[in-house]
This record gives sequence, C-alpha cells and structure tokens, in this order.
Amino acid sequence: MSGDLMSGLIATVLQVVLVIAGAPLLVGLMRQVRARMEGRAGAGVPQPWRDLRKLLRKEPTEPRDTGWPFRLAPLVLAGTALVVAAVVPLVSTASPLDSAADLFAVTALLALGSVALALGGLDTGTAFGGMGASREVTVLALVEPTILVSVFALSVRAGSTNLGAIVNVTEADPMRVLSPASLLAAVALAVVTIAETGRIPVDNPSTHLELTMIHEAMVLEYSGPDLALIEWASAARLTVLLGLLGSLFLPWGVATAGTGALAVLIGVAAFAVKTAALGVLLAVGEVFMAKLRLFRIPELLAGSFLLALLAVAASFFLAGGA
Amino acid sequence: MNVPGTLLTVALGLCLATALLAPAVPARIRPALSGLGTAAAGAVGAAAGGAAMAGHAWSAWLPDLLPLAGVRLALDPLGGLFVAVTGGVAVCAGVYGIGYARHGLSGRVVQATLPLFVASMLLVPAAASVSTLLVAWELMAITSLLLVLAEHGRRTAVGGAGLWYAVMTHLGLIAILAGLAGLAAGAHGEAFDQLRAAHLPPLARDAVFLATFAGFASKAGVVPLHAWLPRAHPEAPSHVSALMSAAMVNMGVYGIARVGLDLLRGSSEGGAPAWWWLLVLAAGGVSAMYGILQAAVSADLKRLLGYSTTENMGLVLMGLGAAGFFATRGAPRLAALALVAALLHVVNHAAFKTLLFQAAGSVLYATGTRDLDVLGGLRARMPYTTALFAIGALAASALPPGNGFVSEWLLLQSLVHAIPASGVAGAVALPLAVGVVALSAGLAVATFVKAFGVGFLARPRSPEADRAVESPPSMLGGMGLAALCCAALALGPTVIVPGLARAVGTLLPGAAPATGPVSGPVSGPAMETVTLHLSGIAGTMSPLLIAAAVVAAIILLAGAVRMLAARGRRVARLWDCGVGPMSARMQYTATSFAEPLQRVFDDVLRPETDVDVTPKQESAYLVERIRFHALVPDRIERRLYGPVLAAVDAVGRRARALANGSVHRYLAYGFWTLTGLLILLAVIP
Amino acid sequence: MNDSMYAQWLALACGAFLLAGVLVLWRRDLAAIVRLFALQGVALGAMVVVLGLRQGSVHLVAVAVGVGALRAGLLPYLMRRALDTPPPGNGTAGEEARETRPLVNVATSLLAAAVLALVAYAVSQPIVRLSPGPATQAVPVALTVLLVGFFVLVTRRRALSQVVGFLLIDNAITATAFLTTSGVPLVVELGVSLDVLLAVLVLQVLTTRMRAAFGGTDLGELRELHD
Repeated sequence: MSGDLMSGLIATVLQVVLVIAGAPLLVGLMRQVRARMEGRAGAGVPQPWRDLRKLLRKEPTEPRDTGWPFRLAPLVLAGTALVVAAVVPLVSTASPLDSAADLFAVTALLALGSVALALGGLDTGTAFGGMGASREVTVLALVEPTILVSVFALSVRAGSTNLGAIVNVTEADPMRVLSPASLLAAVALAVVTIAETGRIPVDNPSTHLELTMIHEAMVLEYSGPDLALIEWASAARLTVLLGLLGSLFLPWGVATAGTGALAVLIGVAAFAVKTAALGVLLAVGEVFMAKLRLFRIPELLAGSFLLALLAVAASFFLAGGA
Repeated sequence: MNVPGTLLTVALGLCLATALLAPAVPARIRPALSGLGTAAAGAVGAAAGGAAMAGHAWSAWLPDLLPLAGVRLALDPLGGLFVAVTGGVAVCAGVYGIGYARHGLSGRVVQATLPLFVASMLLVPAAASVSTLLVAWELMAITSLLLVLAEHGRRTAVGGAGLWYAVMTHLGLIAILAGLAGLAAGAHGEAFDQLRAAHLPPLARDAVFLATFAGFASKAGVVPLHAWLPRAHPEAPSHVSALMSAAMVNMGVYGIARVGLDLLRGSSEGGAPAWWWLLVLAAGGVSAMYGILQAAVSADLKRLLGYSTTENMGLVLMGLGAAGFFATRGAPRLAALALVAALLHVVNHAAFKTLLFQAAGSVLYATGTRDLDVLGGLRARMPYTTALFAIGALAASALPPGNGFVSEWLLLQSLVHAIPASGVAGAVALPLAVGVVALSAGLAVATFVKAFGVGFLARPRSPEADRAVESPPSMLGGMGLAALCCAALALGPTVIVPGLARAVGTLLPGAAPATGPVSGPVSGPAMETVTLHLSGIAGTMSPLLIAAAVVAAIILLAGAVRMLAARGRRVARLWDCGVGPMSARMQYTATSFAEPLQRVFDDVLRPETDVDVTPKQESAYLVERIRFHALVPDRIERRLYGPVLAAVDAVGRRARALANGSVHRYLAYGFWTLTGLLILLAVIP
Repeated sequence: MNDSMYAQWLALACGAFLLAGVLVLWRRDLAAIVRLFALQGVALGAMVVVLGLRQGSVHLVAVAVGVGALRAGLLPYLMRRALDTPPPGNGTAGEEARETRPLVNVATSLLAAAVLALVAYAVSQPIVRLSPGPATQAVPVALTVLLVGFFVLVTRRRALSQVVGFLLIDNAITATAFLTTSGVPLVVELGVSLDVLLAVLVLQVLTTRMRAAFGGTDLGELRELHD
C-alpha cells in the first residue's frame, strides 16, 4: 500500500510542478504558433515567463475603495487552479487525492476561481469590472449544463464520476474512444474548454476593446504580482483543461496504479506531448476563426449542450455506443 | 415519557410561556424576552429532533386536548429531522429578532405570535393523526400570516402580499384536508398508523396523492403554486422571512414525503405508480429553473432570496421525486441516495437561507432599502454583515467549500448512476434532470455573484447606502450562529449523514444507508472519515479535504508571492481613461449585471422595457432627459392567475345581482334553502 | 467482420448521420447546410455499406454506392446550383445565402433537437424490442433525424432550408428501411430515389419562380398569395 501511495504521491507532485512550470510555456508556444502563422516573428516560447518575472518585480497598486475581495481574488483563482492541477489525472491515475474530488468537484473548483475573479472585478466599481464580471458569470452559468451532462456521458461507461476511474476504463479499452458517445462528449467538452479558458471564438485573450472583452475587462485594475498570479492562473487552467481533455479522450501513456517509475516518466512525456499538441491545434484554429458576437455565444453553448445530451443518448441508443 | 418527548414538551411549553408573558412585560424588554424565549425553545426543540434522529422514537395520545379525536403526537427520525431544522432556525431567528425588533416591531401581537409560530412548526412534523396535523398546519398558517402583516402600516405592498398569502395558504389547506380526509375515510381511522395499514383502490389513492401534493407543494413554493412566496417573503420582517423561508416551506416537503412514501404505503403495495414521482420530479425541475431564473434577474434583494427558495425547494423535490421513482423501479440503494441528498439539501438550505435573509434584513435595517440598484459599498460600512453574507452566498451558489455543494453533489450522483435501473422513462428524464440541476447551479452562481458583488462591494450608489452602519450585536449573533451551522455542514456532512440515513429508513424500509464513512483499503482511517462514500456506487468526494487543499494552496501562494515579489502596496486612482474620477453612478447595477442573462432567456422571461425620451422645447434633437423603465414580470403568475382572478371577479360581479339590499330577499334565500333541503332529505330514501 | 467491429462501425456511421442532421439546425449559412446534407449522405452510404459487408451482400453494397452518389453527390450539386444562381434585380446575395431569422431561434432549436432525440428514443423502444441487435438499436437515430427534418420544415424560412428539411426526412426514412429490414428491393429503392430527385427538381423550379416573383425565397411571402 505504502509503495503505491508513494509512487502516486511522487507522480502528483511531478504533475503539479509540471503544470506550474509548463503552463506559461504552453501559452508562449501557442502565441508563437499564432505569430508564425500570421507571418510575424513572435516573441519566443519563454516570453510569458519573462513577463511574469517582470510583473513580480513591479510594485503592486491597489485602486482606492477596494477591499479584501479584490485582494483575495488572484490568490483564490491561482489556488483553485493549483488544487485542480493536483487532483486531475494528468500524469498518473493513482493520485492520493483522487478520492477527494471527482469531475463535478473539479468543475465546481474552477467555477470558484472564476467567481472570485468576477467579485474582484465588481469590487473595483468600474464599468469595465462590472461588465467583465457580468459576462463571465453569464458564460459560466450557460457552460455548466454542458459540462455536467458530458460528465454523465463519460460516467455511464465507467460507472463512476471519479476521474481516475474514467481514465482507467478508457485506457483498458482504447477502442471506446472512437464510439459516438465518446466523440460527441469530446467535442462538447472541447467547446466548454474554449469557453472556460476564454479563447476564440468565445473570448479573445489579446483584446482590449470594451465591446468584446470578458476576461480582460475583469482584470483591468490588477497590476504587478497580482496580475502575475492571474496570468499564471489563466495559463494553468488552460493547461489543466487541455491536459484533462487529453487524459479523458487520448489516455495513452497515463500511468496507472501499481506501475513503476518508468511509467510515471512516460506519463510525464505523454502529458507534455499531448498538451502541447492540443495547444497548437487550438492556436491554429484561432488563426482561422473570428470571435463570435457576445449574444451568439449562447447558440454555441446550446449546441455543445445538444452534443453532450446526444452523447448520453448515444450511450444507450447504439449497441457500440457506450 | 422518554428523551425526545420530554424535550419537545419543554420546547412547546417555553413557546407558550413566552407567548403569554410577552404582552405583559414593558415594550422595552419585550423583544429580548420574546427572542430569548423563542431561541431557548428552538434549542430544546432541536435537541428533541436530534434525539429522535438518533433513534429514540416517541409517541403520545392526549385524548382530552382536542374534542372528538384528541391529539396524537409521535417523533420518528423523519419528523425529528424537520423538528431539528425548525429548532435550529428558531434559535438564530430568536437571537436575531432581539435587535431587529428595535426597528419598531416590539408590539404585543408580533412578539407574542413569534413563539407561537415556532411552536406550530415544531408540532407539524410531530403530528401523528390527520386532525392534529391539520390543526397544527392551520395554526402555522394563521401565525405566519399575522407575522407577514406585521409591517402593514409602513408599506402598502404588505396588505397585498398578506391577501395573496392568506388565500393561497387556505386553498392549500383545503386541498390537504380533502386528500387526507379521503385517505382517513378509506382507512376507517385518522391515526397515521391506521392510514399506513389502509388499502385504497388505485383511483382513490391517486386522488389522495394529487390533492395532498398540490396542497403541500403550494406551501413549499413550487411553481406554479409559488405566487405567494415572492410577495410574502420580502414583505415580512426579516427574521420572520428567515423562519418562513428556511423552516416553514420545508413542511411542504415533509408533507409530500410523509404522505407519498409513508402514509400511502399500505395502499400502494406492489409499488406506487411511477408517474407520481415523475410528476414530483418534473414539478421540482420546473421550480428549480424558473425560480433561479427569476432570482437571477431580480434587483430586490429579498425577492431574489424568495425566488431562490423556490429554486432550492425545486431541487429538494427533484431528489424526492427521483427517490420515489427509483423505489418504484426496484433500486432501493439509489432511492436512498436520492432521498439522503434531498434531506441534506433541506438542512443545508435552512442554514444558508436563514443566514441570507437575516443579512438582507440587516441591510434593510441599516439602509432602509432592499433595492440592489441603489446599494453597494457596504463592505467598508458593515464589514461583519458583508463577510456573513459572503458565507451564505457561497453556500447558496453550490460552490465548494460551501454546504450547498455537498447536497447538490449527492443529488447529481444519484441521477447520474441511475440509467441502467430506470428504463425508458428514466433514460429520457434523467439526462434532462441533470441538465436542469446543472443550469440552476450555474444560474445560482450568477445570482449570488450579483447579490453579493453589486449589493455589498465597490462604492455606495445612494446616500442611504453611504450612511449605513453595522448592525447591533444580537443581530450579528443570530447571523453568526447560522454561519457556524453552514460551516459545520460544509466541512463535516459525514457527521449528520447517519441521522439522515435513519430518516430515510423510515420512508424506504429495506434500503441500506446510502452514504457514510466506510473503512476503505487505500489511505488511512483519518482520510476515510471525512470522505463521502456511496455504497454500491464508485463515487467519492471529501468536502473537508477540498476546503483544506484550497486554503493550503492559497496560503502557499500568498507566501510565495511575499517572498518573490516586491513588498508594499500603493493606493492608486481607478483607471478612468483620463477623464477624471468616476462617479459611483458609473458602476454596474444589478439590472445591468443581469442584462446578458435576461437577453439569453428573453423568450422565457419576456421582460418589459420602456424608454421615454423627452426632447428640449427648442429642438427635437436635443434631449432633456431619458427615462428608462424595465420590469421582469412573473410570467407564469400573470398567464395562469390573471385569467382565474378575472373569472372570479366576473362571477363576483354577477353574483352581486343576487344581493339587491332587500332584507326580505336575504331571508327568503335562507327559507328556500331550508325547505329545499328538507324536501331533498325526504325524497332521498 | 466480427461482431464488435460491426457494432462499432455501424455506431460510428449512425453517429455521423445523426450529427450531420442536428447540425443543420445550428448553421445559418445555406451553403454550409448543403455541405452538412452531403455529409449526411456519405454517412448514410457508409451505414448501408457496413450493413452490406456484414451480410456479405454485393447487391446491398451496390445500392449503398447508388444511395451515396445520389444523396452526397447529385442532390447537393443541384441545391448548390440553385443557391449560386444570382438573384435578379437588387436582391442582396448575402441576405439570400443565409437563414437570417428562423421562426424559432437557433439556441432554442438546438435545445428542441435535444428533446426530440430523447422523444425519439422513448417512442422507438417497441420497435427495438422486436428484434434487438445493433442495427435495430440504431432506429432511434433515424427517427431523431426524421423529427429534426420536420422541425426544419416547420421553423425555417428559406425555400432551400425547406428542401433540406424534406430531404432529411427522406434520408431518415431510407435509413430506417435499411436498419430494420436490411434494405428494400432495388426497384422500390430506385423508384423512391427518382421521386426524390423529381421533387427536388420541382422545388428548384419553384424557388427560381419565387425569386422572380418576390425577389426572395422567404416562404413567409407566400402568404401574400392568399390575400
């Protein structure tokens, strides 16, 4: 028992370290890919880390009339991202924390981070902060059904909503990935991931135009180390969600309980490769897409809900569906 | 008389003594007496309920107390649960009421009625015969009505709310009376034990269920019978709102569970019809969606909380409906799980709704308004109330580490794992139910971010909000107690689950306790006791560990930032695009915050907006002022109740022709009725 | 072809068939709708090919190729031609090429499709229970597409969307026929296909005439004929 626990613990620590260090690199990679495809030279993959270092050295400012919600928001956002990075099976399914939080809890933790940031935005009392918060929670509310129904579809197969169990079942029977239920759930969750992480076509991470901002509007008043935390947390959430998509639908390489150090190393490599590949795919997609109008986003989310519901339906419609 | 019986008697005695003493003492100390008496009675009542949940059953028959049938009382674990919840809410409301009553509520009637209201709510779940239940129910209706009307001299809306409440609660009583009377007639006796043994024909059984369901659902504020709730809850004094919203609506749930799963047991041997429970599930789903949607677009803080009650009762009914449905499909473990989820949500909702209504009351007390659009900036002026409201809002939005999350998690688990057991109807209903729970959870997040972020943070939007000061200690104490309950329920739900499992056992005999700490092979006993394990289902979650992990991560990050980053914070001006300081009127209001959601659900809500532009006299192009008016009407109420009220009105107008003012004519009506009846009786063999 | 392979490929083809059907509700761009319809034709062909390979029937595979060619090739081609015909006069091409204002908005349509899928599942259970097997279990998929097609007919304004709705229904009926009875006789299939072709040609002519008469293909305009 203790051997398993130790290897699980090591894998979890590795995975957290990997997310902490790798998340800004993933964002850098995606920006670099976009830049190259748009014919620019780009700032290089480690640029986000340089930005973070610069921000950490700056003096933090705090707008007048703001209080603890404003100061706590970056910490809660980053803290929940860190906890989620420890819980989800990115490198290994044998995390000792696996029984503490299932997919529902992970979703709720990510929502908690968004809510903290929305309250931080509202606490500033600017029109921008309120606007960003309002849009963020609207998207958050509409995304929720898709996530939970997709979880439903995935759990039908595994008989559990615990992430380790779902990944284990998929890894034991990889052909299941090609079933309609799995494919539909994958597309639905991909749409949700895009919405949750504020990527095109739902939100544009590099916009500062008030008509279109969601995430950027909320964080307008943050500066210095606070902003560094927020930037890092956004990158970490993106990394964790892409890694989770990878583990759920391309589970090859994820270490399972009772496997040795080699499996964990393979897990690390597989996680890095899969996440980078998904990130590049997302970046390439963003080059060819325009941002949706804010009031078209519900259509996109309704569509993803339909896909999720069809995924549940397909798991009992079709013989080979589940 | 054993422990629960003694405790319950003491609690009722305390209520009665307080009610008799309150009018006699001077007005200065009356609120303190009434509040402390109510709180003490609540504490003893909670202990009685707790003892019943621990497995000490009690029953009594007092033949002389009521003519004909006498009073029958009994406490089983289910009744005990609801008695305990009522007691807990009464403790908080009693303490809070001491300070709140300084607001001009120290009159004799109000202060004497409050303990009676609590007594009636302690009696309803303890009633063990139809007549006892109905008497307690009517007492509850009348006392709550008196309390709703407490501030009728100050606001005109109170009278209307009281009228709606009086009419609907009595229509509900009639439905319950009809249903239970039918059941008692079929059982040849009115004690609950006799009802359980009755064998009703299917048609009568369905009629009994439908009538009682309608009656109890109207008390629980279930759509479309919710119309009284968003009127009465905002207009009542806030500690009374807390009692009504956190304790009284639960009685509706109790009634549906007691009648549907317990009293009709003998009549539905071989399984109750599945459509009963699908109906309950559907009613719950509609309530959850509609309630939270209205709450999300509401700018009145207490009305928002009232609609949120409708939502939460909807979620509870979804759990109850799912439990009944699974029981008819022969899946007792899932049924027990869904029922535990529903009952746990009742407890959680009671805790956070008490807290939220009291915090809203403090805001009302300090600023004189409940309109979120003119609030704001209370964080600096009422720091404790703000923090307490934040705890309640976290719980109500079903996010970890709040307590609402735990029960919604259990509910989702019971729905998600049910597909193989539930056939075609389940395969259609359950995915939709999961979607409804998810959307209501998401909208609840939006609602409470709005209520907290707009109402308490940033800068005040009006002079009233600017002048706000912190509430007196007794009010903070009442809220603090409720917040402690929330925190305890959030971190240690595994402690009360055995009691809930016993309550479930009274309704679903034969079902194994669904959740609880079980010894597992993996990682040490310390971790196992704080993790929720589901028996028969592979699903685990540990609220305590999640909370600990989040707190640890935050501390870790704060430490890291302190070590790595520059020290010291500089206070700066808000970014104002260089035009100069921004006024508080430029902030987002509750209405503007909810606008995107309102737009998304345009087809459901049908908001009415009206823009009135007044141009200057000199030119049509120069605008003097623009008046914008937006209203989101309760559409179900308007579409459903409007025609009914109009029809009643028309009948009433036509009936006026019968009364032309002639006394002889009125006497003639009596005469003809009497002779007609006599002839009828003579003709009928 | 072994059992699990057969079940999996059939499920995949049915999944694509269903997805193409419901996505028609999502897109506003008429050209994209036609492409989706072509994709559904391919999925239908693939479905019949899988059935044919399972039964080792060359005849069925040949029918599959025919069905695929008609529904993924010829019909979409005809519709594209109708779409590309430049509108006479000052009709704006952008307005014409999009389903701008459906009677039920897109988000609601998608949710309605989700409910229709569940309804289709519930009502087709008696058929499935007659002879449970991978093919019959996919009947709800076909029924869903049928309901979605009908929904498109009811709620969309453009004449071309109406044609697609009609063809979705036809695809669904064909799919049901193949899934339940492993195909109808070749003659019947040929007759039906010809009927469909004829109907599309008639509708195309109608569309052109409508354009000439009203300058647009909004079926709401037909109400004027009543007055």
